[in-house]
Amino acid sequence: MKIHSSKKQNTNMFKYLIAFLFLCLTTQASPVRKDKVVPAKILQLKNDSSKLQLRNFDQQKISSYRQQTDFHYNQQLPGASLWDRFWAWVWRWFSGVVANGYTGSFVKYLSIAALTALIIYVVIKFTGTDLRIFTGKSKSVNIPYTESADNIHEIDFNAEIEHAIGNANYRLAVRLLYLRTLKKLHNNNLINWQPEKTNQTYLQEITDPYKREQFSLLTTQFEYIWYGEFFIDQENFRQVKISYDQFNTEKL
Amino acid sequence: MESEIANQRTDLTQLSLAVTQIRESIGQIIVGQQDTIEFLIAGLLADGHLLLEGVPGVAKTLSAKLVAKSINAVFSRIQFTPDLMPSDVLGTSVFDPRTASFEYKKGPIFGNIVLIDEINRAPAKTQSALFEAMEERQITVDGHTYALEEPFLVLATQNPIEHEGTYRLPEAQLDRFLFKIEIKYPTLEEEVIILSRQHQHKLEDEIKDIKAVLSIDQIKTCRATIKALHVEPKLIEYAAKIVQETRHNKSLYLGASPRASLAIVNSAKAIAGMQGRDFVTPEDIIKVAIPVLAHRIVLSPEKEMEGLTTSDIVTQIIQKIEIPR
Repeated sequence: MKIHSSKKQNTNMFKYLIAFLFLCLTTQASPVRKDKVVPAKILQLKNDSSKLQLRNFDQQKISSYRQQTDFHYNQQLPGASLWDRFWAWVWRWFSGVVANGYTGSFVKYLSIAALTALIIYVVIKFTGTDLRIFTGKSKSVNIPYTESADNIHEIDFNAEIEHAIGNANYRLAVRLLYLRTLKKLHNNNLINWQPEKTNQTYLQEITDPYKREQFSLLTTQFEYIWYGEFFIDQENFRQVKISYDQFNTEKL
Repeated sequence: MESEIANQRTDLTQLSLAVTQIRESIGQIIVGQQDTIEFLIAGLLADGHLLLEGVPGVAKTLSAKLVAKSINAVFSRIQFTPDLMPSDVLGTSVFDPRTASFEYKKGPIFGNIVLIDEINRAPAKTQSALFEAMEERQITVDGHTYALEEPFLVLATQNPIEHEGTYRLPEAQLDRFLFKIEIKYPTLEEEVIILSRQHQHKLEDEIKDIKAVLSIDQIKTCRATIKALHVEPKLIEYAAKIVQETRHNKSLYLGASPRASLAIVNSAKAIAGMQGRDFVTPEDIIKVAIPVLAHRIVLSPEKEMEGLTTSDIVTQIIQKIEIPR
């Protein structure tokens, strides 16, 4: 029932559409008007009776132009030099290579790569960019070493210690005793002496627990006397020296 | 022998007791983070402001709150937000119709310990309001200068990862922080302990049970002791060399200021005092070098592109300068 009703509606729609199109066409199509026929007017051309004035080229100017080399069109160019012919040959060869299907594409991409590399190189040089940014490794910071006041390998420890004791400068004598111990530890491969390493670093480098403990005591003494600037008299120094001598003779 | 030599000078008994108490108080709650706790105490003793930086959830704010709670002092907290105004921090003058005059209402900056949470969420305008307070310990508003009570300590936290709605702290402000303490993730063992405590519902009770262990007077005494500690002249020169090198290092765009040199020496003294010594050693200077310098220096753009950090450069500098011995 519903299908029947739908078909009927479609038929009506089609009728309305035909009627609408007919109406449009009939509205557009208006009757053609017939224009009145107008008789053609005959025009007659008049002869040009004006007086002609004959003008000639200025021969002097023509001869002056002829003397100028710019107007010598038949001038023979001098023959190409050997250099020019070489480059002409190079370009001919290059054109031939490029024109070739196989080598041409190779040369084309090679040229593009070379040109790109050149541009990148110029940009990098111009901006001063560090190329190591691509490797992920940082450039080592160049800091000049501060000149060591004392190179432990050059000090005559025995003489210097005697000199300090002679001057009753026990603080300096303790410092020299400590430095001599560091030198001995380095010479016995127990530590790796470097001026920028701290005393705690040297302690960690000593693997033998007993030696480490003994050296820790010496380090504490040194730090209190040297960094702490604690006063040390002859008697205290004698005790300190005994502990250093014991460590140097027995433990090393 | 050592005890004989060590007994010659400063009495550090009270200082050691105070350090032990505060260390234990914070250690009850914070699991691990030993370096963080050490630097928090060192900052407190060296009279410096502290910036705690870490990803969300590593107990930045909790650490700062615990330090504040351990001291019997006026504590205030400011949550920095993008719309915070300088007057919200400093205070403002309000008209009183009864007296027909303006009355100054003090802002939250007037406290002994001021916790500024998420400090990098406020714009430079608000940050700059802290400059005078942090450096000169005073506030100037409407032509009047108000002194801040001693001790005055700013504990600020910030998250380095988030960029949305945050502002980079001005260099002038960063320079006013004694330390930037970077709080790292806990280790596996530490995280297990944190979870166990939370599971047993201990944490909340433990935080509530934290009592103040130090008074303002005790803090003042400890600070005076720290100030009096001995620094050998060659070690002062060593600290100055490290800072000087930051100014000439090609990897750095901005070096550290003389305030940084002072900060190194003062905080090295605090570290020495905390370890029971009345003198500074090179290790003390090295220990504080990164937390003091890393936030005050600026990397050159190339080095930043390489992925280096300011801490790396400070480490390189330390490794190249001879230890005075």
